[in-house]
This record gives sequence, C-alpha cells and structure tokens, in this order.
Amino acid sequence: MEEQAPPPPLPTTTTETLDAATQRKHAAMLDRLSNLQQSRLLSHKPSPIDTPPSFESTQSFLSRFSTTKLAIESDLARIRQSPSDPNPIPDPKSQLQSLSLSIAGLEKFVAENSYFLPSYEVRTCLKSISDLKQTLDHVTSLVIPKKKFSFKSKPTKKGPIAPTSPTQTESRNTEPTKVGSFKVPDLPGFRSKESEVLTKVFKGGGLDEIGEFTVSDLVDCEVRLLGCLRALFVHRLRNCRVYVGPVFGSVLIEEVEGCVFVLASHQIRIHRATLNDFYLRVRSRPIIEDSCGVRFAPYCLRYDGVERDLEESNLNEETGNWANVDDFRWLKAVQSPNWAVLPESERISAVEILNPDT
Amino acid sequence: MGLLSIIRKIKRKEKEMRILMVGLDNSGKTTIVLKINGEDTSVISPTLGFNIKTMAYNKYTLNIWDVGGQRTIRSYWRNYFEQTDGLVWVVDSSDLRRLDDCKFELDNLLKEERLSGASLLILANKQDIQGALSPDEITKVLNLEAMDKTRHWRIVGCSAYTGDGLLEGFDWRPLDERAVTTMIAL
Repeated sequence: MEEQAPPPPLPTTTTETLDAATQRKHAAMLDRLSNLQQSRLLSHKPSPIDTPPSFESTQSFLSRFSTTKLAIESDLARIRQSPSDPNPIPDPKSQLQSLSLSIAGLEKFVAENSYFLPSYEVRTCLKSISDLKQTLDHVTSLVIPKKKFSFKSKPTKKGPIAPTSPTQTESRNTEPTKVGSFKVPDLPGFRSKESEVLTKVFKGGGLDEIGEFTVSDLVDCEVRLLGCLRALFVHRLRNCRVYVGPVFGSVLIEEVEGCVFVLASHQIRIHRATLNDFYLRVRSRPIIEDSCGVRFAPYCLRYDGVERDLEESNLNEETGNWANVDDFRWLKAVQSPNWAVLPESERISAVEILNPDT
Repeated sequence: MGLLSIIRKIKRKEKEMRILMVGLDNSGKTTIVLKINGEDTSVISPTLGFNIKTMAYNKYTLNIWDVGGQRTIRSYWRNYFEQTDGLVWVVDSSDLRRLDDCKFELDNLLKEERLSGASLLILANKQDIQGALSPDEITKVLNLEAMDKTRHWRIVGCSAYTGDGLLEGFDWRPLDERAVTTMIAL
C-alpha cells in the first residue's frame, strides 16, 4: 500500500481541507444515517411477523402466514359477533384499525418473502390477504353503525318515525299511478301497521283460487299467513316475525331489517336485507342481493294441516336448499361474508300456531 | 372446403335466429323457456348468468338467450345485444310495485342502437295469478303506445305456469321480411 501511489483521499483524511460548513453537514449526515438505522431496528421489533426473511423456507413461511391469518380472522369474527353480544367489545373502531394494520403487515411479510416463494404460493397468499381486507370492510360496515340501513335514516330527517311511515306508504302507492296515468288496483295484503299480530288463512279450494299477497311497511309486527298461496311480496319490514305456509310460486323480499322469516316456497329472492334470520324450505337455490348479516336455517312452521299444504304445493320434501344460498354480490367460489348458516344453538324451536281459524 | 359447402353453410346460418330474452328478476324468463321446450319447471333457481336454449321451430333454428334479471347483473345485458333478431321482454304482471322499475329498464333497453332492428315481443306473464294485470293494463302502464313507430311490437298475456299464451306469443308474424323470419319463430 505504502509503495503505491497515495490512495484516494478518504473523507476523514480530507477534513482539514474542507471548510467548517461542509464538516458540519457531513457530521449531520452521519447522525441522520445512524438515527435512521436505529429507528429501523426499533420499528422492526414490535411487529411479530417482521422477522428478517432469513429462513427462506416455504414451509415455515406458510405456517407463519397461516397462524397470523387465523388470528386476524378470529379477531374479525369476534368483532362481527359483538353487536349481538350482551357485553360488546368496548372500542370496535380502534380494534378494527389495528386489525387493518395487521393485515397490512401480513401483506408486507408476503412481499418481503416473495423472492424465494413459488409463484403459486404468492398468488394464494395475496388472494387470502385481499379476502381478509374485504371481510374487514364488511365487518366495519356492520359494526360501525353509520352505514347500517337506509330506511331508518329517512324518517329521522323528517321527524319521529311513526307519523312519517304512513306518508311514505302513500308516496309509494301513488308511484304506479304516475306511470301512464294508470290506476293500479289495491291487492290483498297487510300494509302500514305497527305492533300488531296479523293473521290470514288461505282456504284454497283448488290452486286457481289462490292469489298473491303483499306484506309491506310493517314495524314490530307478527304476520301469520297460513294455507297455500301463489306468490308473496314482502317489502320494507322492520323487527317483524313472518310465518308463512307454502307458497306455490315465488317469494320476493326487499328492504327488511331485523326480522325473522319462516317460509316455504319454490323460489326465494332476498334483496337489501340487513340482519335477518330465514328459516326456509325451498325447491331451488335461494338468492340474496345487496344484503348482509343474513342467516339461514331449515323451515320450522307447524300448524294444523301444514303437512297437507306442503304436499299440495310440492314442498313436502326437504331439499336442503335452505343452505345453498347464492349471493349475487359475491360471485366467487369462497363463502360470501354476507350470509351464514344459523348455528343450531341459536335457532328458534319450531313455531307452532294453534287454531289458525281464530 | 368447396364453394358449395361454404354457400350451404351461409344458408344454414340465415335460418338461425338469435332471440334475447330479458326482463326483471322473478318475471319468469327461465320458466317460459323451459316450458316451451317441454322441460320440468318445478325446480328453477334464479338465473346467475344466462342460459342458451337451441330449439327447432318449423325450418328455423332458434337460439334463445335467457339472461338473468337480478339488478346486479342487468348491466351485463348489453353484452348480449349484438346480432339480436328478436327481443322478448318478460313482465311479471302480478308485481305491481315494481312496474316502475320494469318500465325504466325497458325504456333503457329500447334506446339501445344495437337493438333498433329487433322486433319486440312483450310477454305479460303470470296471468294465472289472481290480481295480475291484463295485457291491456300492462300496455298502459308501460306506455307502449308511445313507442317509436318503426318498431314492430306486440304484447301477449301468458302463464309460464300453465303454458297458456306461450304459443300464441311465439306465433306472431309482423310484416317486414327480417321480422317475419324472426317472428315465425316467435
């Protein structure tokens, strides 16, 4: 070294030739660098999954990934259950935020290790992360109440709920009249009631005598429709219990919240439903659209002659389709977060209606 | 492939009709198609996507595209507009509350340029249900008389459940050549 030409001047050796300002700058830079390094080390510590990717083994990566994923999922499930819990989680908002951070951490973890992982694993992991994010969004919308349900907020704008609901109905009823100046006749149904028990028995003397029925704009009611009917329309119900005998055609349910339905039908469509339980017997696959928090269980209505009515309507056979729900807002192979099978422990026991004639 | 076989192929193509069947969910589109085809209609799930049925009718081959009507998937209807010869709009005549919806979606559909040449058959379905509106009433509610005069259209009451009116609807023959071929089929 000494015999050769002098080496290029190192920073330390050239300090004498530099002016004071440059020296200060230099020192500050070194300082900043070491600070950065420090903070990097610090920030690495708290996150459990941020270990340096030294193991480079797909096996250990995957096991670590799935443990974290499971932890996040179970947290999500717990928060999701909390609104119905007697002792809810104190601050779901901050919990959800921290979960969001964990998911981001998990994503980073995958990214850091992606260089040695098979591309299939990377894809699968990223897919599960995006699923987690979606579930998180869903749970957030469930738990943070501002997004809860639309028709609740409408009346509150105008005043107390009770007086406005009839006017709502009126405006609805006039809508068809607007179309082509045609007056739509009043069809059989229960409309605009509050806190009542509404019973109707259909005495079918042959299927041609059985028509359609509409149940709309009810709050805190119990509806019992016994016997066979041809078609059922349900619209805007809140906190109601609806028990229906076999429907020989289709059932269309829109905008319901906090209700329990016990229905048997050939086809069932459920639109814009929030937090309802459905006890169904259905020949085809029931569908939900724009709904969340809906749960399903098998049909459980009993009244005098129900077996005969079911048979007459070709609904005597339990197809198991009550659990084959298609969510039109979730066209993926994985289970939709918007609906679930109602756990057996939470199901109501059979609904028995005595003396349907009274 | 010789010239003759190419010509034959084109000829055969001409006898193929593409019929698009749309309407709100729960109006009975799939039930109608299966009923015409003589299939079991007791187990039909709401259509997620679409079904195609090919049927022979007289000397024509009909390709009936039955496209799901749930709100979420209505925006995909336009993917099926190309080369449609006949349009069938199905109405649930017993669903009075959603007739507004029904009119809105039909009006939108008829604005579509790619469907401007297609004849329109409106099936006022579910006539068997007590309380269902008659075809005349549906005509008024949907304001069909106000439709563009160049469009060939017709409304027929039917019941996919009993089968009534389906063949009547499919027997309609408007005057122009293109539509004749379509509507013989219909």
